[in-house]
Order: sequence, then C-alpha cells, then structure tokens
Amino acid sequence: MAKAVGIDLGTTFSEIAVMQAGEPAVIPSAEGGNLTPSYVAISKTGERLVGQVARRQAIVNPENTVFLIKRFMGRKWDEPAGRELSVQEDAKRRPYKVTRGSNSEVRVAMGDKEYSPPEISAMILQKLKADAEAYLGEPVTEAVITVPAYFNDAQRQATKDAGQIAGLNVLRIINEPTAAALAYGLDKKKEETVAVYDLGGGTFDISVLELGDGTFQVKSTAGDTHLGGDDFDQRIMDWLADEFKRDQGIDLRNDKMAMQRLKEAAEKAKIELSTVQQTEVNLPFITADASGPKHLTINLTRSKLEQLVMDLVDKTLEPCRRAVEDAGITAAKIDEVVLVGGQTRMPLVQQKVKEFFGREPNKGVNPDEVVAIGAAIQAGVLKGEVKDVLLLDVTPLTLGIETLGGVATPLITRNTTIPTSKSQVFSTAADNQPSVEIHVLQGERPMAADNRTLGRFILDGILPAPRGLPQIEVAFDIDANGILSVRARDKGTGKEQKITITASSGLSKEDVAKMQKEAEAHASEDARRKDEAEVRNNADTMAYQAEKMLRDNKDKVGADLNTEVESKIGAVRSALQGADTEAIKRASSELTEAMQKIGSAVYQQSPPPGGAGPQDSSSGGEEPPKPPDEGTVEGEFREV
Amino acid sequence: MSEDEERYSDTEQPEGDESLMDVATLTKELDDARQRAEDYLISWQRAQADFTNIRRRLEQDKAEAIKYAEGDLILKLLLVLDDLDRAMKHAPPDLKSDGWVQGMEGIARKFKGVLEGAGLEEIAAMGLAFDPTLHEAVACLPGPEGMVIAEHDKGYRFKDRVLRPSRVAVGSSEPAQEIIA
Repeated sequence: MAKAVGIDLGTTFSEIAVMQAGEPAVIPSAEGGNLTPSYVAISKTGERLVGQVARRQAIVNPENTVFLIKRFMGRKWDEPAGRELSVQEDAKRRPYKVTRGSNSEVRVAMGDKEYSPPEISAMILQKLKADAEAYLGEPVTEAVITVPAYFNDAQRQATKDAGQIAGLNVLRIINEPTAAALAYGLDKKKEETVAVYDLGGGTFDISVLELGDGTFQVKSTAGDTHLGGDDFDQRIMDWLADEFKRDQGIDLRNDKMAMQRLKEAAEKAKIELSTVQQTEVNLPFITADASGPKHLTINLTRSKLEQLVMDLVDKTLEPCRRAVEDAGITAAKIDEVVLVGGQTRMPLVQQKVKEFFGREPNKGVNPDEVVAIGAAIQAGVLKGEVKDVLLLDVTPLTLGIETLGGVATPLITRNTTIPTSKSQVFSTAADNQPSVEIHVLQGERPMAADNRTLGRFILDGILPAPRGLPQIEVAFDIDANGILSVRARDKGTGKEQKITITASSGLSKEDVAKMQKEAEAHASEDARRKDEAEVRNNADTMAYQAEKMLRDNKDKVGADLNTEVESKIGAVRSALQGADTEAIKRASSELTEAMQKIGSAVYQQSPPPGGAGPQDSSSGGEEPPKPPDEGTVEGEFREV
Repeated sequence: MSEDEERYSDTEQPEGDESLMDVATLTKELDDARQRAEDYLISWQRAQADFTNIRRRLEQDKAEAIKYAEGDLILKLLLVLDDLDRAMKHAPPDLKSDGWVQGMEGIARKFKGVLEGAGLEEIAAMGLAFDPTLHEAVACLPGPEGMVIAEHDKGYRFKDRVLRPSRVAVGSSEPAQEIIA
C-alpha cells in the first residue's frame, strides 16, 4: 500500500510527515534530523546535491547552489514588489544566476543548464520522497503540500507542478496556517476564528482563518519577510561582542572564526533561556592578544535577553493588529491562537501573543513540525485513513479490583485504547479461604473506597488450601462499545463466575474530569493511605510467616525463643487492631529481629522451599518482596 | 411502523408479489451485508498491516535509538573537546615541558580516548579533497582548488553516521569569500 505524505516545502527548510497507525509522525532525513535545508546544487563534478550536503558546500560553489527558490515560485520576471521583494531586486541578491525566460518566467542556472523554479523545488521534493521511502520501506506516491496563505493561484500551481515533476500525485495544496490548525484538531470544532502566529528563522506570518463546516477560509494575512529567530540571535551576538569589548578591549567582530563560535553560542543560550532563568556563555580561547589567550565568560539572564529582543517581539504585534483589522474583527473575537515556528518557544513571545489575543495559545505540537504534521493529517483524511468510524475510543478512567487492605489494584489503566483485554492472577488472603469477592472498581484513586463501584460478585468453591496457593485468574475485557465484562476463574477447579457491566461508559465528560481532578487533589493523602495499607499487609504477612516458622521448626527452637516470638507476634496482631501505623511498623521490626533468631537456631537446615511464585500473566507484581504465604484477613483477596 | 418492519411482519404469508418483494428485499440486504463484511475485512486487514508495520518500525527505531543514544551526549561533549584542543594548541611554548601542562595534555588525551572507545571517530580533512558529505565549508581562501586548506573545527563520525562535519576552509583560485553566518 503506497503511503500519502504531508510536506512542508519551506523557504529555508522542508519537512515530510506521514500518518502511521492513525498518528502523524515526522520522517527523519537520511542524514539524521527532521529538517532538510531547501538547498539544491550541482557540484563541480556534475553531481546533484540536495539538502544538508548542498548547504555545506554552498560557499565553495555559490554560483551552482540554489536556495530560497520558494521566493521565485510561480512569479513572473516583471513582477513588482508585494509582500516579497520584486523578482528582479531579489535576483540581484542571489549568488546564482537568475534570468528571464522566453515567457517572462523566472529561470535559474545551475551547472550548465537552466531550470524553472518548480524543477528546483521538485529536486527537494524528490529527496524528501526518497528519504521517506527508505524510512517507510514502501513507495510514496501521493502528497499534500503546504504553501503560505498569501500565495496566489500561479504560485500554488507552480508548487503543484513541482510535486508532479517529483513523481508525486498532489492530492491537495493547503495553506500553512490551515495545516497548523489541523494539527491541533481545530477542524473538529464548530464555527470559530483562528489566528495562526508563525515566527520562524527568517520570516514572520500572521493569518486569521475562519472555520465553517470543517473547512478553513483565510480571512486575512500579514507579516514581515525579514523578521525571525535569526534577528534574535544577532541581538545576543552583538551584546556579547559589546560586553567582551568593554571587558577586554578586543572587538571580536573583526575575527570571523570567533563570530562563528559566538553565533552558535548565542543560539544555544537563547534556547536554554526558554527553560531556565540564567545561563553562562562560556567560550574559552575565543581570541588572543599580546598578553595571551582571552576567554569569553558572560552570564545572560532571561530578563536581559528579553530586554535585548523586546522591540523585535513588539514588531510582530503591528502585523497582528493589521490582520485582525483586515479580517473585520477585533482581537477579542479570536477563539483560538496557534503557534508555529521555533522562535515561538520563547516565553516572552508566548506572553506577548497571549496578551494581544487575550487567550492562551495552543501549544504542545512541536512548532517546527506542526505544519508538516497538519499536512500529513490532511493527506490521511483525503486517503480515507483518518475515518471517524475507525477512530478508536479510550477508557477514560482506570479499571481494577479491590485487593487486600482495601487497595485498588488497576488492571486496565486510563487512556488505554479499546477494545482491549487484560488478565492477572490473584490468590487468597487466608488459609482455607472458601471464596473471593471480586469488587470491580473505576477511578484513579489508590484506595478502593474512594473509587466508583461498577459491580461485585463472589467466586466460591475454592478448595481448602493455605493462603497464597489458589490461583484465581481475573480477566477484564472491554469491547468496542465500552461494555466491560469481568471474569474470575479458579485455575485449580476450573470454576468461574462473570459479570457484564454496560454502565462503565455511562459517565459524562464532566464526571470523568471531576474524578480525575479529585485524584490529583488527593494524591498525597492517597499515597499515605496506600502506604499504610502496605505496612499493614506486610505486618500481617510477617505475623503469619512467623507462626508458620515456629510450627515448622518446633523441635529446633528453644522454649524461651518460642515464647519471645509468640509474644512479638501477639504485639503485631494487637497493633494491627489499632490505627497507629508507627506502632505497627515498630512491632513488625521487633518481630523481624526475633525471627532472625529463629533463623540462627535452624541455621544448619536448608531453607524451606518457597510457595507458588508470581504467575501473573500481564503485570509485574507491585508487592514488596515477601514470601508467598502470608496474611490472615478472612475473606479477602490478594495479588500473587 | 416503518415500511421495512411491515415487510418483516408479513413474512408469514409468503404469497404472490409480496413474497417476491421479500426475496428482492432480502437479496438487497444480503448484498448490503456482504458489502459491509467486505468493507470490514478490508479495514481489518489494513489495521493489521498498520499494526505489523508499526511494530517493525518500533523495533527499528528502538534498535537505532539504542545504537545512537550516546550520540546526542557526545555531540555536546565535543564542545568541551574542542575547547581542550584549543587550550592545548594555545599552550605557551615555554611551558610545553611543564609538568602541569603535560598533565593537562594527558587529561585531554584520556577524554578523547573515552569518547573513541564509545564509537567516536575523527574525520580526516586537512589536505584532502573537499567532500560535502563529510566537511562543511565555512570559508574559501586562495589555495589549491577544491582542497581543504584549513580546519577550524574537527569533524567526527559516531558509529556509521557523521555526527558533526569538519568545518573547513577550501582552496579556490577565485578571491576569498565571506564566512557563512
């Protein structure tokens, strides 16, 4: 089955993503990393180079290395300046030859041939396609490609042509802001107005979209083709160079290699300051003078960085104002804000956007990848891979049963995709326990009593046996409609009981949210109660084990020791009657010491054989290490 | 009662046109059911295929992640290695035989040895033909055409990948070019 992909064909970088098992994912390039530079070159030996490799040799082969081709897509030689520079003005700035074709179209020269801009873009697309095919192990023949919202028909057609030249059936050309909105699933909402704020490396775009009937309409766009993250880096570099000059009297701006290191350090510091408040820019041996080597060590705080770039961030707000005005609305009428571009990771940018639109922007999807991801989702929808009927539900809350000490033991954790089934083997808590009660619970709290009871049933007829020996398999199964059936089976006798619960999905969204919130609010208190339950269970186990040890080693243990251990067991038992956890802990640790004395007494003997080990078919035992024979609480049920 | 339901209730009197209509309805229902079964089968096969593919993919990704896991950390450590290289290169000539400097040299060598033990390998550049798959040109200087004539930062391979290309100056018969910022 050929895959349909989504492609963000960018001015400086391009990216490709695909739907895999219902989830969009960006495909890494053959060189590693998710971004492919939008560079194409013909090497001096006549070889075609695309992406990272083309970029690395740009400086030695400038006349045969084409970049920023997107700015020429679908444009005529005589086209005046609009959002972008006029074609002829732009052409003058390129190190490669840009000429006028016979139909006044733009042509670029590379090697000894001339190419149209779609042919160059096609080379980038071919590289992305080849990398995707190598990664997926299957052919890629269809694609959704994104373009800026302000692209006209000719520019869109040129992009479509590029896809066809690359051997791709272009399913659709979509707007970059629309793709970003799709990545956040905003198409599933009702009528809404969405603002997409896209601050990349070199350009800024703001678009206002209107959603109706699941489709987006671009109401307005604005932006600045020469404003982006690179300007932020430049500000930091300038400041670092100034500081260094003030400190050491040396101007690094005259040293190209030093400036190269400074640029990398500036970008690194900028990225770090998105998560920490202060960072050290540390470049040893940055330069040298007569007195010896010089080191650059400067602390940069987030607030200093914000001071340095404040006006750049403010500069994005004017286009925002314009776009909102052109859309004929006010900022308050915007229902959703989406962030695109790496520079939007900066807290100051997020804060300014939030202030301007008066609402928290959508984040969470990687802003460098959000456009490619949206394109992949659109491709999936067009290919019928993203169908509502195929969208699988999840269980909103954890499902489990009650075990010894009132603990809720989860079998199916929340957000598990359904249909699903899971089973686990449990055992009895007391010797000769004839039956177990299966108490089916729903909720996130660790103690059974705090969760919702979905149902209860009793499995009886368990043959008399020491605690921990019978094996009761409990299986949960939820079908696609959310109907839960719980079955318990005694593996020894084959006897089984089951219950079907249809109401497990009967909770409203509000109920689910409330239960989740409660779980969070009570987290620490719950953890304490669960710890208490564990202390009790352990103490109980220890008392049981000590009794068994005394019984088994009657002849080897002296009368004194026998009395001592018995009194300690008694102490544990009486502590267990009370509610003082510390007292239980104390009594158990005293009992442990006494038990060690029995151990010494029977030292010559080989250790008694262990009971049935964990037979759990699905989850690892949560219990602390302890012997299998334990506990005395009649009629309860425990994990093995 | 809908039309369909009425027909079902009539099935007990299979007579004349009505029974023919029943046959027609049932045939249509059978066709619909077959079509649905076919659709489900296709969807199920597709889901199975997706599942198999994603499992294979996950295994590959995991194998790769394990193989290259140290790469990310080593890439960051290269900054320290670069600084150590620079420090050693800038050691004052009159101190070269100083015990302390020699000790530092030993530390630098040891650090590099540890990284090499983990799979790091230096990329050769000086005096070789410029190769954009291994080298990144940061300057173009007068010199033998297309040859690496200066190395600003060493490049490294990690296992079979280029972790960081060598940053080099390339010889050219044409006038010097600016460094790419």
